[in-house]
Amino acid sequence: MPIVIAPSGRSLRIVRIAADEKTKKHLENLGITVNGEITVLSASGGSVVCKVKDGRIALDRDVSTKIFVA
Amino acid sequence: MKKFALAGNPNSGKTTLFNSLTGATAHVGNWPGVTVDKRDGVYKKTPEPVAIIDLPGIYSLSPYTPEEVISRNYVLDEKPDCVVNIVDATNLERNLYLTTQLLEIDVPVVVALNMIDAVEKAGDKIDVAVLEKKLGVPVVAISALKETGLKELMDKAYKASLEKREGATVLADSSLAHLIGDVKIALKGQGVENPLFHAVKLVENDSIETEMHKELSPMVEEFKATFEDDVFGDDFEAIIADGRYKYISANFAQTVARKEKDRQKMTPSDKADKVMTHKIWGIPIFLAILFAIFHLTFSEDFLYLGAIFKLPSLEDLGLLTAEGEPLNYGVRWLACVYDGALFSPGVILNNIWNDMLVGELFGWLGGLVEESTMSAWAIGLINNGIFDGISAVLSFLPPILTLFLFFSILEDSGYMARIAFILDRMFRRFGLSGRAFMPMIMGFGCSVPAMINTRTLADEKEKTATIRVIPFFSCGAKLPILTAVAGAIVAYFGVGNADAITFGMYVLGIVAAIVSVLLMRNTSLKGETPPFIMELPAYHAPQFKNLMAHLWDKTKHFVKKAFTIILASTIVIWALSHFAFDWRFLEDEQINESILANLSKLVQPLFTPLGFGSQLGQYGWVFVVAVVAGLIAKENVIATFATLAACLMAVVGMDFGELAIDAEDGIDAVQAMVMATGITIPALISFIAFNMTTIPCFAAVGTAKGELDSKKRYVGTLLFWLASSYCVGAMVYTIGSWWWTCFIWIAVVALTVTGIVLVNKYGKNGRKLLWARGK
Repeated sequence: MPIVIAPSGRSLRIVRIAADEKTKKHLENLGITVNGEITVLSASGGSVVCKVKDGRIALDRDVSTKIFVA
Repeated sequence: MKKFALAGNPNSGKTTLFNSLTGATAHVGNWPGVTVDKRDGVYKKTPEPVAIIDLPGIYSLSPYTPEEVISRNYVLDEKPDCVVNIVDATNLERNLYLTTQLLEIDVPVVVALNMIDAVEKAGDKIDVAVLEKKLGVPVVAISALKETGLKELMDKAYKASLEKREGATVLADSSLAHLIGDVKIALKGQGVENPLFHAVKLVENDSIETEMHKELSPMVEEFKATFEDDVFGDDFEAIIADGRYKYISANFAQTVARKEKDRQKMTPSDKADKVMTHKIWGIPIFLAILFAIFHLTFSEDFLYLGAIFKLPSLEDLGLLTAEGEPLNYGVRWLACVYDGALFSPGVILNNIWNDMLVGELFGWLGGLVEESTMSAWAIGLINNGIFDGISAVLSFLPPILTLFLFFSILEDSGYMARIAFILDRMFRRFGLSGRAFMPMIMGFGCSVPAMINTRTLADEKEKTATIRVIPFFSCGAKLPILTAVAGAIVAYFGVGNADAITFGMYVLGIVAAIVSVLLMRNTSLKGETPPFIMELPAYHAPQFKNLMAHLWDKTKHFVKKAFTIILASTIVIWALSHFAFDWRFLEDEQINESILANLSKLVQPLFTPLGFGSQLGQYGWVFVVAVVAGLIAKENVIATFATLAACLMAVVGMDFGELAIDAEDGIDAVQAMVMATGITIPALISFIAFNMTTIPCFAAVGTAKGELDSKKRYVGTLLFWLASSYCVGAMVYTIGSWWWTCFIWIAVVALTVTGIVLVNKYGKNGRKLLWARGK
């Protein structure tokens, strides 16, 4: 499921990133990679704040619907 | 001299370290993307002095935004003698991702483990010795803020710079190791520098790299064709990223000994964010903070105590003389703080500065000149030309600094990044991402750094649109125009509230920006809104040292400008207004025969639709002069007012004493101009609006030229500023003077919108179709 609707406060594993090349690369640089861990901290109206490694990253609705976790 | 480059993730403390090492006061803030250009300084405590180069923050050596390209190019092309890699110890794994890439370059690297104090404070520990062994380069734990470990860091960096280092990769165990090795050998055979680094980037399909080594692509593709991965397919870049992170967590995660075993625990920062970035409350909280800032800076009734408790004014207390002047020196001080209401801190500062310091100083200086034996024209030049102009500009230092201080606090605390996030959803409707908010809010301070900061925007069209609307966010230099004209409206016409007018003009600027962005993103700058991906830094208390450094820089900049460009402009304007074409010196009363008057009258009719053109009669050209002088620097508008008002007062036969309010801060100058020209309130507001939305100043125009990618865009930007200011000014004046003209404007806007929507829907062919059907 996309992280927009994922439960918050739980460590999740990323299975697919369906964004374009440029965005995907930037996400990888920030630690959001396939097989990597991600924790949703809060989701408000589609925008998501998540915890990746020890950083906090804010994503807009468009991007967060393209990151799929299991 | 040896060159050491500071490289690291955004907001990892490079500039703080740079300032600590070199004694510089470069701008520091708690959000990613403060530094967008490289800068250098010198560190002297090593055996020989070394040049330190501060680079914009980068997450990796495959750049996403233009400012990241600067860092990559510097490290690869300028060949620093050592790269000091700043690593944020509180987010070690993510920061080491960049480190693993830097290690692939053939350059000495030293890792500075920054914010070690924050790690220790949380009760965690990092094993520096193990980290050093695994990375194969020196690691030094430092705190750039508290300036610990800096000497050791620089000594190790100096030692490292004496030896050569060959690139090493953490991908040696990866399934791609063979492929990378083969490409590296091929590159080495061609004599390419940093073969390992380029080999990895080529395999990654890095766009800059494939462009640079086109001839190798077929070979790399051939190698790649033989390769298949179960999880990633042929997504090589993802395999490499995964390889790096896997290596990092396998080797370095253990060097961090955490006090809390549970990594899911909410930090205080996370808890604060639950409120600050709340779906419903986020925006109201932001607006409340903004209002509080304006209240603390401008309000003459702090916390509305005066209105609530009906406090007595100084007159009621019998502390004023019959002429309305303070009884004694003590009361003068009291009047700076209180008069029927407690003033807000910004206003108190402003009163003390203007009434007690600047007013006294220039009054005294003026007296000295008046009594001297200089010729009449020299006294005129010094008193009316230079002193009036400079003091009018200097008198605005307090509100500018107060506003700037509050924005620095927002910036340093980490809240700025949150505002960008909560505004993102709103910005998206206008076709921008929340990231564009950063440069825009910087525009309230000064357009020049704001325009440079647009480098953090990854999309070229978004960047252009943002640069164009930055001047609409009224900068510190425009604030004097707002407060002086608004003050004069209230003092002369006795209507409205000066604070409300000032605040209203800020809002007008923002509305103009929104409308322009919408217009541009639907016509000339169409394109997808780029995604919003931003790191939110942990909140921290603003650093006193940083705040003071910001204020000091701002003050220096302002005072320097006042005594250079503005001083020069006022002298030129005074001279042009006191000489006729035949070089005859003119008395103040003869101002209408001056060179300046004759030239300005030529263009005066152009401003008639805006309310300050031909309808103002023989002295109306003074507003034209102010506008034109404002194109050089916006402080000139008020300086020009002050210089010309001295003449106009002679013309209309009055002196400063006749005006009710205190003589400083430009309000009286504007009043004199109102008396001489009979300008109306709508025309005055249109004058402010025009100045706010027109070509900002020479410095900003130069910056825009440098930041925009093509000459066409640059010329387009200049035309856009002229057109938008003319439209906004005309709209304000006509609607303000004759309310029914709003129907005409509504009709014009409706037609434009329908036109744009239709063209966008049917395209160019569609327009022909519609046309044909109409026939």
